[in-house]
Parts: sequence; structure tokens; C-alpha cells
Amino acid sequence: MSNQTPKTFHPGLINPWLNRLSSLWNSFRIAAWLGWQIESNWTDPFLFATYSIVKPLSGAAILVIMFGVITDGNFNDPIFTYMYIGYAFYIYVTQIMNGIVWAVMDDREHYKTLKYIYTAPVHFPTYLFGRSVAFFIIGSIAVIITLVFGLVFLNVDIVLAQVNWILLVVTVIIGVNMLALMGLIIAGAMLLLVHHMWDLGAAVAGSLFLFCGAVFPLEVLPPAIRWIGYLLPVTYWLELIRRSLVGLIAEAYPTFSNLEDYQLLVILIILTLALAVIAGISFKWCETQARERGFIDMVTNY
Amino acid sequence: MKKYAIQTENLGRIYKIRGGKKSEPTELTALKDVNLEVQPGELFGLLGPNGAGKTTLIKILTTLLAPTSGKAYVSGLDVAQNPGAVRQRINMVSGGEASGYGLLTVRENLWMFSQFYGIPSKQANQKIEELLDIVGLKDRINTKSSDLSTGLRQKMNIVRGFMTDPEVLFLDEPTLGLDVGASREVRKFIRNWVDDNPSRTLMLTTHYMVEADELCDRVAIINKGQVLACDHPENLKHRLQKDVIYRMEVNPLNGFNPEDFERITGVKNVVHIPKDGFTILEMILEEDDALGPVLNLLTGEDIHILNLQKREPTLEDVFVDLVGRSMSEVEDSDESAE
Amino acid sequence: MDQPALPKNSGTKLFLQTIIARAYPRVIGQHREKSWLFFEVLLPFLAVSAYVFVYRAIGAPEEYVGFVVIGGAMVAFWLNILWSMSSQLYWEKEQGNLALYIMAPNSMIAVLLGMALGGLLATTIRAFVVIVLGSFLFQVSYAVNDFSRLIIIMILTMIALYGMGMMTSSFFLLLSREAWHLANLAQEPVYLVSGFYFPVKNLSFWVAIGASIIPLTLGLDAMRQLVFPEGASSGFLPVQTEIHILMLLSVIFLLGAYYLLAYMEKLAIKEGRLTESRR
Repeated sequence: MSNQTPKTFHPGLINPWLNRLSSLWNSFRIAAWLGWQIESNWTDPFLFATYSIVKPLSGAAILVIMFGVITDGNFNDPIFTYMYIGYAFYIYVTQIMNGIVWAVMDDREHYKTLKYIYTAPVHFPTYLFGRSVAFFIIGSIAVIITLVFGLVFLNVDIVLAQVNWILLVVTVIIGVNMLALMGLIIAGAMLLLVHHMWDLGAAVAGSLFLFCGAVFPLEVLPPAIRWIGYLLPVTYWLELIRRSLVGLIAEAYPTFSNLEDYQLLVILIILTLALAVIAGISFKWCETQARERGFIDMVTNY
Repeated sequence: MKKYAIQTENLGRIYKIRGGKKSEPTELTALKDVNLEVQPGELFGLLGPNGAGKTTLIKILTTLLAPTSGKAYVSGLDVAQNPGAVRQRINMVSGGEASGYGLLTVRENLWMFSQFYGIPSKQANQKIEELLDIVGLKDRINTKSSDLSTGLRQKMNIVRGFMTDPEVLFLDEPTLGLDVGASREVRKFIRNWVDDNPSRTLMLTTHYMVEADELCDRVAIINKGQVLACDHPENLKHRLQKDVIYRMEVNPLNGFNPEDFERITGVKNVVHIPKDGFTILEMILEEDDALGPVLNLLTGEDIHILNLQKREPTLEDVFVDLVGRSMSEVEDSDESAE
Repeated sequence: MDQPALPKNSGTKLFLQTIIARAYPRVIGQHREKSWLFFEVLLPFLAVSAYVFVYRAIGAPEEYVGFVVIGGAMVAFWLNILWSMSSQLYWEKEQGNLALYIMAPNSMIAVLLGMALGGLLATTIRAFVVIVLGSFLFQVSYAVNDFSRLIIIMILTMIALYGMGMMTSSFFLLLSREAWHLANLAQEPVYLVSGFYFPVKNLSFWVAIGASIIPLTLGLDAMRQLVFPEGASSGFLPVQTEIHILMLLSVIFLLGAYYLLAYMEKLAIKEGRLTESRR
């Protein structure tokens, strides 16, 4: 019997790109599975259901009541639909950004596994993206519930037959990637911060709420800070979402009235690509700093 | 009525297992009819494998867990009825602890905990410095605890336990995760503290035989929630004095079942430990004469003896005598059962 | 012969020592890690500002901007209760500190107060920044004509609120990871029913009455009535009535905290939940 080890065909050895893709997919897949195991680990499914319904609807209800008080319940005003859709989809911003940041904190401080994941042959940023999949799913549930509630009870002016589904799907896909990249920038910072900053992702998402025209047109902001909104990809993303769902209403507002859908899409893609470069550089820098200072496995308990 | 430092009467604890599969048991008996009496000033050891119930017993005595049956007293006070009064008299250190605040320095962490016991800051700081000096940590007093190694962090936690000057101190595997040198230092510190404070009592849990043997005035051997024996280490070993203990190194057994040795008259227990290229056999025999048939059996199975020595009984042997298996075998079988 | 015994305080002295000691890590942490000034003060201010612009976008009267500013400031206190007090016990349990607190002869109430006090510095700064910056940037005008009642309202609201925080913390002794989710769940609904961004009287009477169990509801409502020129017209109940209710809530919550903490601790000890780690 031959003592030689039988040769096995490894296409990855021939094509390093295939190998790399396979590795990235592996990192993403395992992280997504892990993230779902953690986030879906509710001891009480009823509590989970309550959480999924009550939390997003309460946030929307604040805006609804604010609007209702001032306009005497005139929910037919187009700005209500504008506001409501913007708020609903902004849930993704908070969930995905916070999800990525939370993964760093959870793994480092609570499960104390970050050091093991970091030293494993996984692509760490891809791992973090994978961990946010669970938050995307939970966010999607919240977005759908909010939209359905608005459609059924608040006369949110979405006509399903008139929705541009292709634009919607493409925009959501680009948006999720864009939000994940924003989350990655903050996750990098999180590597250098203490446990107390665990809701950094939500805090940043909350502050962006002011600048991106989520619940009011950018023209409402003073010119001194309005320009920030034009630099944020989230602004264009929300505008495209609105146009895909309620095209005519969205176009009635001045903010991007001079831009066609495809132009907005191109701007969104360019800004997302720029974000990818920024995220790559900033995360790499933060990661290097964390490694040099020995923060990868630090447990601050504070 | 005689006041014991620690006393338990038919103490029991059953855990309810939540969220398990329907086919799995819903209850776990962690302690069953534990009766112990620890005198003031004793360094009392609780020795047993992982999962024996040592930590459960400590938790009950430190008022963190209620018993499901029986009674437990610390300094004459019922732990279930008078937890507040008990807490004024005790402290606890667990092995492998990550408690404390990483952003605070060693001094600050210790000072903070001293305050929970009502120690005035001035006295607390003096005590902290004194104890840190003894454990060799004084030069790191202003280091953030997140910057300490595991061993140094454990030393800090040990100081936390001692600095409040408790009447009864509980150490739950205090040398877990420490290297040999650090473990030795900690054991020396523990022994000195008990010797310097004869009215203070210390209960130590461990699964390291050497630790129990070296440190403790008395040892209770516990397995599967029950105390199997409780006496001075020497007295426990004397139980086996009439027995003879041999340690053999032989070729790999190659399918031979070591339990076959126990069928030989005079062989009480055999523990086999497979190693790389050989096997260790630890045998407890009733008398020297039982060795001959053992050697014959080995020869008949073509198993060569590489080394043979007679030795004094250890606490491990006492455990094997009581349980029928070594501590590591008990732990391994519990793991595979899980 | 034993070494001389250490002196140990008890009673009120121990209570105060515990509060100070438990506040210490949070205060020192804020001093050593100053990034919270940006993330916990400035960023939340921006989030609050968004609601100001919502009102401006829909043409609300300017007094509503003031409502948002005051409400946004008080959000800080609610979050301090939720995250620095209630669910903090869950983190302490995970880290192993909870067992050490329970085992010590101090009072859990003192430990919780210490936690809250430690976070109060950041909370107060956050509230202060929101009010000062918000008032300046959004040109909010105030007309306080009864400072003494305003101070009384603020003190009673804080007492009742922190009493409530201690009471709800007791439930977190029993919880594991669901503690985090429950605290998360208690954010937006409370913002909604307590009228952080709009006068609570715009909710139905019974919803507003029910929401009054949260001290911030009536506290905010009374504060708005006292500091704004048109405040009285947007009030839910007369200020004096709200003061009486807050006094009652303070007593109920403080007593509730005392008994519930003791009961829950006993229950957690009986069920072995103090040292479990079920993530």
C-alpha cells in the first residue's frame, strides 16, 4: 500500500480569489448564525413579540401624536406620509449600525470571546457584518409592522400597485450595505472605548436623525447645518425609499426635486463606495491601535 | 449550646433545570443530607471533583443561595433566617474571578469593596497596603485592574476577601488558574493568616489534593452532593494504612480491561491512566500478597512492567477508596454523561 | 493571639459609605474616559433637536419647541434609571459583582443609589446642555413665576423617579438577558405616554392617568406649566394636584423599593438566580 497521501483537488489553491471569497462567505455565514442564536435567545416568545411590535410602534406614535396635535389630525397632508415612511425605514439605520457596534461590545465584554474570534482565520469586518444580520431581520420585522400599521390605521398614502418594487429592492440592498459600512466605522471606534459606550451605535444613529431628512425635508434645517445632510448617503437612501413607495409625494418636496431617481441612485452608490474606503481605512487604523494598546481582549466592566 | 463557626444539618439543595428538553431531567440534586461542623479557628477543606457540590455549599453558606432542605449556620446564625447578620461576619473569594472594575486601580477596587463593609477609609487603605505588600502586589497598587494578568488579578481578589477581617472566610478554588509559584504563595498566605488569627475560620474548596493535604486541618471529601468522609488528612489516609498502594508503569494495555484486576482477591481498586506510550496503574491492595497474582495476570497478557513502586496513601487514594474511581475519572464520566 | 479587629461602621454610616463607594467607579470612569461628553451629551442633543425641527416642519407654535427642549432634557433621567440602575444589576450579575454586593452587609438600596448617583453627573450635564443649548439655539423663552414650586416639583420628581427605579431594579435580580430587552422596551413607550415631546393631555384622559404612574409624566407636565408663559393651558392636571400625586408616588415607590428589593433578593436566593449566567 502506498504511503503517499492522496492528492486532493483544491480549486482554491489554483484560484486564490475563490479561496478568499470562500473564506469571507464562511466568516459571514457563521457570524450570521451566531448573531441569530444570540439575538433570538428570548426566554419568553411572548415578550419577544411584544418587543417587536410595541417598540417600533411607540416611536412612530410619538411622531403621529405630535403631527396630530398640531394639524388637528390631518393625516392626509402629504408631509405625514413623508414623515412616517422616513421614520419607519430609519429603524434600519439604528438597528444595523447598532448591531455591528454591539457585536464588538458583546463579544469583548460579555462573552469574552472577541480575542478568540480575532485570532481565528476569519475576516473580522465580515464577521461583524454577519453579526448584524440578526439585527437586520429584527429591524425588517419592525419596519414592516410600522408600515402595515400606518397603511391600515393612519391612511399612510402607499398604493401597493404604484410601488416601484425594483427601485425599492435595489435601494434597500444598497442601503443595508451602506449602513453596515457606517456601523463598521463606529465599531472600529468601539475597539478603543469602554463598555459604558455600548449604545454608541444608537447614539450616532440618533444624531444622524437630525441631518438626513428622515422626518422633515432638509430645507427645514438652517443653511449652516443643512449641508451635512447633502453629504450623508442616508439622506439619498431615504429619498429613494420614499420615491419608490410614494413617488409623487416624495417628488413634491424641494430637497431633491431637480434630481431623477437614477441620479439619486448614482449619488448613493458613489457615496457608499466612498464610505467603503473610509470605513476600511478607519477600521484598520482603530484595529491597529487596539492591538498596539492591548485592547482587543480588555474587559473594562465600566 | 456549642457555637460552631460553620454548621450544617441535613443540608440539601435541588436545582430546577429550566428550558431543557422533555426527555431530560428537570431537577438536579446538588447537595444531599450534608452534615458538617467546623470549629472556630479551623482551616477546613472541602475536596471533590468538579460538579461535586462544593460551590453550591459555599453559596448557601455565604447567603447567595437558599437550601431546599435542612439548615446551615455560620457563627451560630441561620443563613436563611439571618442573612444580614451573617454577611457582617463573612467574606468570599472565588477562583477565576473577573469581578471588579477594570477602569479602577487595584487600590480603588479594594477601597470600594471595603466601604461596603463599613470600614473607615483610613483603616481600609492601611489594611489594603499591608495585604498587598504580603501578596507582593504593592508595586501595582495604582495599576488599573484591567492591566493586570490573571494571576495578579486573582491576588487582588484574594486581598479583597481578607481585608475585611471576616470571622469566617470562604475560598472557592482560590488558586484556580494560577501558576505553580503563585499558587504556592497564595497557600502560604492562607496558612499564615489562619495561624496569625486563631479565632478566624476559613473554609476552602478545592479539587487539588495537594492543596487540601498541605493546608487543611480537616478535610471533607464530597462527591455528587454527599459528604463521604470528614477528618484530618492524616486520619483519612490512615484509613488506607492497612492497605498497600502500588504505582506501576506498564506497556499500553492494548484492549485489556483493567477492571479485570479487581476480580483478583485482595485487589480493592485499580485506576488506570493511559499515557503516551505507556499506562499508569495505581492499585490499592489489601496486602502485599495480592501483588503476585496481579503480576501473573500482567505476564499472561504479555504486558511488561516498566516501573513499580510502593507508596504512601494520598487523599486521592482515599477518594478512590470511597468512590471507586479517581477524581479525574469521575469528572470525565460526568462530562461524557452530559 | 489574633490581630486587632478592624473597626466597622453600620447603620447610616455604612449606608452612606456604600452609596459613595458604588458611585465612585462611575464618577472616576467619567473622569478617565471623557469620550462620554461627546457620545452621551452632544449626540443626544442632536437627536432631541430633530424633534424641534419636526415641529417647525409642520408649523407648530413656538411653545412646542420649548416642550421638546424640556422633555428632551428629562429623557436623560429616564435613561439613567433604566440603564444605570435597573438593568445595571444584570451587568453586575454577569460580571460577578452582584454576588459580592449581596454578600456584603450593606443595603442594596444604597448600592442602587450609588449607581444612580454615579451616573447623575453625566445625566445632569446632559440635561443641562440640552436645556441651555436648546434654549439658546432655538430661542426658547421662559417665564418662571414660582421658583419654589418648580424646585419642589423637580425634587419630588427625582425622589419618586429614583424610588421607582429602585423598585423596578428588584425585578432585574431575577432576570437574565431578558433584562436588557425589557429595559430597551421601556424606552420609546415611556417617551410616548409620558409626553416627553408633547403635552400629555393630548393623550386620552385615562392613558394620561395611567402614564402618571411614571413620575416624569406629571413632573414634566408641572414643569412646563410653571416655566412657559402658555404652559398652564397645556397642563393635564393643576400643578398643586400634581405635586400631591408626586408626593404620594414618592412614598409608595420608596416603600415599594424597600420591600420589593428584600422580597426579590430572597426569591432570587431561593431560586439560585443571583449567580446564574444565562445569556
